[in-house]
Amino acid sequence: MADLGRAALVVSLGLCVYALVAGAAAARTNRRRLADSARNALFAAFGSTAIAAVVLAVALVRHDFSFAYVAAHTNRTLPTAYALSAFWGGQEGSLLLWLLVLTGYGALAVLINRRLLRDLTVWVVPVLAGIGTFFAFMLVVISSPFDTQTAPLDGAGLTPSLQNPYMVAHPPMLYLGYVGLSIPFAFAAGALLSGRTDERWLVATRRWTLAAWTFLGFGQLLGAHWAYVEVGWGGYYAWDPVENAALMPWLAATAFLHSVMIQERKGMLKVWNMVLVALAFELSIFGTFLTRSGVVNSIHSFAKSPIGSWFLAFVVISTLFSVALILYRLPLLKARTRLESAFSREAAFLYNNLLLVALCLTVLWGVLFPIVTELVKGETRTIGRPYYDFFLRAFGLPLLLLMGIGPLIAWRKASIRSVVRTLAWPIAFTLVCGAALLAAGAGSSRPGLIAYTFSAFVLATIALELVRGTRAVGSVFTLISRNRRRYGGYIVHAAIVLLAIGIAGSSAYGSSTERRLTPGQSMSIGGYTLTLRDVQQTQVPNATETRAVLDVTGRWNGTVSSGDNEYINPNEPSREIGLKTDWLRGEDLYVIADSANPTTKVAHVKVLVKPLVNLIWISGIVFLLGAAVAMWPDAREQRRLVTRLAPARA
Amino acid sequence: MSLALAVVLAVGVVVLVALPFLREPAVVDDRLDAPSAEEEGHLTLLDERDRALAALKELEFDHRTGKIRDEDYRALVGPQRQAAAVALRALERYGDAMETPELPPEPAPPPDEGTPPTPAPVPEPYPPPDEITIPSPTPQE
Repeated sequence: MADLGRAALVVSLGLCVYALVAGAAAARTNRRRLADSARNALFAAFGSTAIAAVVLAVALVRHDFSFAYVAAHTNRTLPTAYALSAFWGGQEGSLLLWLLVLTGYGALAVLINRRLLRDLTVWVVPVLAGIGTFFAFMLVVISSPFDTQTAPLDGAGLTPSLQNPYMVAHPPMLYLGYVGLSIPFAFAAGALLSGRTDERWLVATRRWTLAAWTFLGFGQLLGAHWAYVEVGWGGYYAWDPVENAALMPWLAATAFLHSVMIQERKGMLKVWNMVLVALAFELSIFGTFLTRSGVVNSIHSFAKSPIGSWFLAFVVISTLFSVALILYRLPLLKARTRLESAFSREAAFLYNNLLLVALCLTVLWGVLFPIVTELVKGETRTIGRPYYDFFLRAFGLPLLLLMGIGPLIAWRKASIRSVVRTLAWPIAFTLVCGAALLAAGAGSSRPGLIAYTFSAFVLATIALELVRGTRAVGSVFTLISRNRRRYGGYIVHAAIVLLAIGIAGSSAYGSSTERRLTPGQSMSIGGYTLTLRDVQQTQVPNATETRAVLDVTGRWNGTVSSGDNEYINPNEPSREIGLKTDWLRGEDLYVIADSANPTTKVAHVKVLVKPLVNLIWISGIVFLLGAAVAMWPDAREQRRLVTRLAPARA
Repeated sequence: MSLALAVVLAVGVVVLVALPFLREPAVVDDRLDAPSAEEEGHLTLLDERDRALAALKELEFDHRTGKIRDEDYRALVGPQRQAAAVALRALERYGDAMETPELPPEPAPPPDEGTPPTPAPVPEPYPPPDEITIPSPTPQE
């Protein structure tokens, strides 16, 4: 079957090349049948890539070790779900997933818009095909998942840390986000190439951008939870280059989702939006480059490979293409109106954009710094957590504040008196909360106190918006259904507030202690007392499990175990943490037992108390809810669009 | 087996890609049906009308929810209504503006500061001009 997979990928490459060349020629010479043929080639590329994906999936499930990829990433004892997740556990499978999602997304986006925006989609096809050509080329020539070998008796197995339910979902979510950003990029490039730089490409890709942004955001939260429960260092985000690689396009896309509203309403920021959509796309490719090239040391760089230079070349070429296109069409991207006041909703969006992009570029500099120092000085210097934490506070806290102020300011311009009057209640509520927090001892961390009070302010403004809006239209349901985008956005804001509270609570107010324990010895932290009962070792089919068993008394009574697993195949250790969640407080008791020795019965135990950390995971659910509300199809708008764009068919 | 499936796949994609030419081996007009300059102008005007009416409705909603004071509202609503009226007038030659809902009346002066006037809202659902049945233009005698 490997031959079929290989052949399907060769066909995909041929189809992408054809769609690129024929599509560009058709758009340039205005030929309808050739354009339809190029579009069909894109659809067919999805079909043939899907066949290749099915071949690989079947090989993984059947443990067909004649596929070198299957032998390298699975073994016979691996459960089916994890065997399937090995699809994206290695480089070749990840690239295949990229191409599959890209051609699938592309085919669907072109299919939906083929009649509505024909003169624009005719250019979208070659742009998408160009991206597809790169990935198909990589799969056919550089890094094929269908290389075969004499089948060994068993495979090497999947890295133990990847054998986790969150790892089954996290990478595909990120890919759906990364690749999803290709769609708005392709439509933006199509708009520039066709000269149709009005707002219609934004309307056509609004939900695509939202979907990609949602997948990317939720995927990162899943990854954070995986790191928290599986990697076992006590945190959820380490500012690792590969984690940052997913954060950067998400920040750029967040800025784009906000600034796009100004272009839709005011016809402003056209160049800025083109830059943002290109930046988000380039960062998504750069993220894949970081993950797969191994150019920067990261716990996620599973394989160092020669594909890095190809990705770098693609990033450079596509960036040059985007910049040249924007410069070429600059005369068409002039704003229709100007910002009327620094006190207006659009100005608040602009400040928000500047902060988001500043944060994004700061993170990018942190990621690039080791590479730059290596190139310039010949020695690798890395930027540590304090750098990122400083800029997160410097840009993140004002962003949080703007999230509360922005929605309460009117469009066009607002007088200071009206802003003060509108903000009076939220400010009063915030002051009361701030005083209560100080009284409760939250003043021990100034950034934490600021984050909490700003969060209270944002929640108060959201509540005020809902109350006033409901009063104006009659019911909250009517209010939300009339403007799903706005109120879905407010729900997402609430999710970001929960995230901010969770991060502030667990980092600024968390506590930790560590101690070497022998049976009967205790350690105390945050109202908990932990006593080592025993160190046990058990043998399971594919691993030796060592556990320090600790009795907990105080705010919770029970037992937690922590230690490590020594896997046989692959021969790798895996740290196993002990976790007790108090859902009422949103707090975790997090136990890491290192060097637990079943013979001497000694264990080195580190215990962390993480207040409100669970709000981070709850924020993911609220985030999804808000995104769903914002994306929910609006039949009225759809009818309006169809009627509006119908003349293009005539 | 794999080879046979690969051949079937190759033949299938060739047929799919060639389909537009197989369906219409010879056509009189093979140009893409992009909107003409006049249609493009019409679409732009429709966009402008929607934008103006949306801005007007947004302004009215901001006023009703207390984000804009009465005097600010009165200062802003005039130019906004004018922009909407200009957009509607520009569309008259296409016959689109005929069934557009009436603009909200000017708000009455407030009786006192404590009770802001509530202007008539822009008719809901906003703005449905495209959904309105536009009467066919009367044939010119």
